[in-house]
Amino acid sequence: MGATKQPGGMGSWGEQGPPDLAALIGRARAGNLEAWGEIYRLFAAPIFRFCRRALPTREDAEDATMEIFMKLREKIGQYDSSRPFQAWLYKVSANHCWDMLRRRRIRQDLETEGVEEMPLEHPDPSQLDRMLEERTSEDVRRALAKLPARSRMALVLRYYSEMSYDEIADSIGVRRNFVGVVLLRARHQLREVLGGKAAAMAAGETR
Amino acid sequence: MNHYDEMTCLQYLEGLLERPRALELSAHAEGCGECRTLLRALEGESKLLTSALREQEESVPARLLSPVFRQKTPWAWIVSFGMAAAGLYWLWNTIIDPWRAQLSQAGFGETDLLTMMLFRGSLWNGWQTMWTMVQALAVICFGMLGFFLLRRGARRWHTIAVVLVALMSVMLLSTGPSAAEIHRGQSTYTLPAGSDVKTDLILIGSMSVHIDGTVDGDVISLLGQSVTVTGHVTGDVIVFGQTLTVNGTVDGNIRAFVQQVTLRGKVAKNISVWANALETDSGSEVGHGILAFGNIITIEGGVGRDILTFANHLMVNGPVGGNIRATCDMMTIGSSAQIQGATVYKGHHEAEIDLGAKLASPVQFTLATRSPEYTSTRYYWHLALSWGAAFTFGLVLILLIPSLFVETVRNTERFAAAGFGALLMFGTPIVAGLVCLTIVGLAVSISTLMLYAMAVYAGKTFIAVWLGQKMFGTTLHTGGLIGRLAAGLVVIYALRQIPYTIGTWVAVLVAIWGLGALALALYQRLLRVQPASASAAVAA
Repeated sequence: MGATKQPGGMGSWGEQGPPDLAALIGRARAGNLEAWGEIYRLFAAPIFRFCRRALPTREDAEDATMEIFMKLREKIGQYDSSRPFQAWLYKVSANHCWDMLRRRRIRQDLETEGVEEMPLEHPDPSQLDRMLEERTSEDVRRALAKLPARSRMALVLRYYSEMSYDEIADSIGVRRNFVGVVLLRARHQLREVLGGKAAAMAAGETR
Repeated sequence: MNHYDEMTCLQYLEGLLERPRALELSAHAEGCGECRTLLRALEGESKLLTSALREQEESVPARLLSPVFRQKTPWAWIVSFGMAAAGLYWLWNTIIDPWRAQLSQAGFGETDLLTMMLFRGSLWNGWQTMWTMVQALAVICFGMLGFFLLRRGARRWHTIAVVLVALMSVMLLSTGPSAAEIHRGQSTYTLPAGSDVKTDLILIGSMSVHIDGTVDGDVISLLGQSVTVTGHVTGDVIVFGQTLTVNGTVDGNIRAFVQQVTLRGKVAKNISVWANALETDSGSEVGHGILAFGNIITIEGGVGRDILTFANHLMVNGPVGGNIRATCDMMTIGSSAQIQGATVYKGHHEAEIDLGAKLASPVQFTLATRSPEYTSTRYYWHLALSWGAAFTFGLVLILLIPSLFVETVRNTERFAAAGFGALLMFGTPIVAGLVCLTIVGLAVSISTLMLYAMAVYAGKTFIAVWLGQKMFGTTLHTGGLIGRLAAGLVVIYALRQIPYTIGTWVAVLVAIWGLGALALALYQRLLRVQPASASAAVAA
């Protein structure tokens, strides 16, 4: 995380968030528009970045961000104030983006069978290590964009939003036990793309 | 030597292994280079992923940075809603209500304008059934639309199937009320004198129809050429065709959408016509009133009650029991005219009144102005009120169909909207005209035209919100949308006041563009199979 100047995830505010967040949420709940404006100002950018990572195009991400904030106003009543607000925010966002992707039927790999059957072979550690050292984050982003929707979503939820396995399971609709498999499989796919099999992957995806 | 598998290593790194297992693994890794390398590689991969995902290489779009939740000054709201309410009140008070009153005086007593204009017993009893059907169809359509919008995941063929089933059942139903005698495609039909038909007589596509005998019911001729009634019709005569000549007696009403109507005989109730020419001869008689939209209206016969016309030229030369209310280019009152009620005339020329004419009161003449009176306050008041009416309409749309509204506004940015809009603007009435060819089609086409009129009117609200967004930034918040609607409408109404037909062109362009955007948005909803994934992969 040290390489990034200001992480877009929950790290932005650390664990506790801005000191007056709880009060702000209280006011927002009461329907105070200024409080909503403040919440929007605080979270629009991170939510946009989240959507940008999870969804295929920038336009989708923009639309999704706005829609998520509209949803928030309806759902704020369901927020349990004893839990971190950011986590809840990401949960709502993840559900929204996942719904959006699902509606568009661009999930090629949604059936769990595929995940279960996937053999997870032991990689050659030193080769992997070397390959990763040569790759920049730009390469990784480009490769991520080529992953199937669910793999990308899982990685985003885990490494951008820092969601727990339980939360990920809930968001992308797999059983808790498979989250690890989904994540590992996503890493394998990512390595495949990074390792130069990009063309093959892309062909496989658009099928 | 046995190594730990990748999954276990990953879980270890993520802190998900149970403590004894984790200790075991870390002890193993102490002495196993390969597992150590794997752990390091996986950890490196996690870090690379985190930094790749969190790096802010892209700026956040400006439209997201402007706060959408802002406290609004309530004054703008109060004024907007006040205007809206006043606009509706004005619309009712100056247009709908007087008309209603006028019409009911003229013998078209009905409770609501729409029902009165087209349906109900005064037209044809069969319309009652038809009207129920139209309503049923509308309910089905709206239900489906709702279903579709709520569950976009629904397969398209389901929708199509439902539409087809609905249409088919409507078609089947429509054969229900036909206890009538129906003749189709017969080039001439003659009911000879002395013979009679004991039921409604429906003729479709007959070139020449002669009713010399008696019809104990309605006569309906659709798509025919000429209809001549010399005998006796106890019900209504309803004609869509070229010419209608009535020499005999009609106990009911005449409703005609034709080129030319000539009355030489007697009509016990009302005449309503949309015709190029309406002529009633001096010996003829109309029991109740005349409602005529046409080019040349010549009334030489007697009229029991009121005459209401929108015409190019109106000529009255006979006894009139009620009032005359005419909007036309020019009006002539002949020497044999005897008008018992008031004569209200709005036109471009003074009425020509023959010396022998007897009028109960002088003609109330208003000069119809071709250009708006920019100096009168009334004009601006009127403008503000029609703004209010448009605002209310947009408000209802935003509240009823927020997401479709937003999608439509987004579609206004596409030039395809203009093309699509122009096509629909001019194509819909033509198609609706063609669909009229069947009885059911008539109902369908009337409801289509109503929806079309609403969509055309709605067009400006989409463009208004788009303009508002150009001025104050994009938002999805309902309040923000409404504010932008209000501001955008002000701009549109201002532009529409530009003289020398520019304003008119603005209005037309706005309507076309908005209609097209709406059509595009609906179209996209129907075809929401997302082609973006492939292109997105390439773009990213």
